Amino acid sequence: MYAQAFFVAVFGLAAIGFGVVVFRTSSMVRSALALLFSQTAVGCMFLAMQTEFLGVLQIMMMATEMSIMAIFMVMFMMDPGGLGGMDMSHQKRFSIGAGVSAAIVAIAVALLSDWGPAAEQVPDAEAQTRALGVELLGRSMMIFETAGITILTAMIAATAVAIPVKNLAGKDDKEASE
Amino acid sequence: MTVVLIVALLTGAILFGIGLYGALSQTNLVMIMMGVELMLAGAMVNLVAFWRFLHPEVYSGQMFVLVVMTVMALEMAVGFGVAIARFRAKGSVEMEEAEDLKG
Repeated sequence: MYAQAFFVAVFGLAAIGFGVVVFRTSSMVRSALALLFSQTAVGCMFLAMQTEFLGVLQIMMMATEMSIMAIFMVMFMMDPGGLGGMDMSHQKRFSIGAGVSAAIVAIAVALLSDWGPAAEQVPDAEAQTRALGVELLGRSMMIFETAGITILTAMIAATAVAIPVKNLAGKDDKEASE
Repeated sequence: MTVVLIVALLTGAILFGIGLYGALSQTNLVMIMMGVELMLAGAMVNLVAFWRFLHPEVYSGQMFVLVVMTVMALEMAVGFGVAIARFRAKGSVEMEEAEDLKG
């Protein structure tokens, strides 16, 4: 029990620490790597909370996602290496106020609510994965399928937005003049 | 055992606060997306903690985490699509220069 509390706290502190580094470092690659470490620490928290399947999924997904993000950061940032010491932030005071206020409200809810008795035991990893599979292909199948279709639609939409627009009207004019 | 729940909820709350700060303060679209990712990570920590310590017999809790992970992937896909379109059109993904998107 104490070991679980210790590991959840350690990984929680790591997630928060790396989360802060994301917006503190001037190098964009370091930012992406800090976010990767933060998300991995969140995955390790899942593992420490005996949610093995989701923990492994989180670590695998975020490793891929943040690697892609690092590439995009280098492609699109004005100062990817952070050597110019550029400040790419605005409305700092308002942002800090909003972030701190949101965190304080959430902390107050966490501390002041009566959460009731905590469950002592959870099914082992194999039973959990099996039960989640039954849930996904049973009662929650429509939600799962909807999520799948939605992500496919978003991928097609994102590709459609990203490809260059062909000027068909101009092409017709050119053909007509020829 | 409730101590672990509280520790997880505090972590989720602080991650959400950091993410909100990032999403509001950054001028670059990719950095704004990073802030949103941190906010969603905070939400996922809370969901897993609620499932583990309050209702470990109801697997809809884990299902909900899968849906949030899908939302994270969606946000990345759409965000990068918008970033590429914006970069092609204007040569920059700085949101302070996106005033022309105003209706």
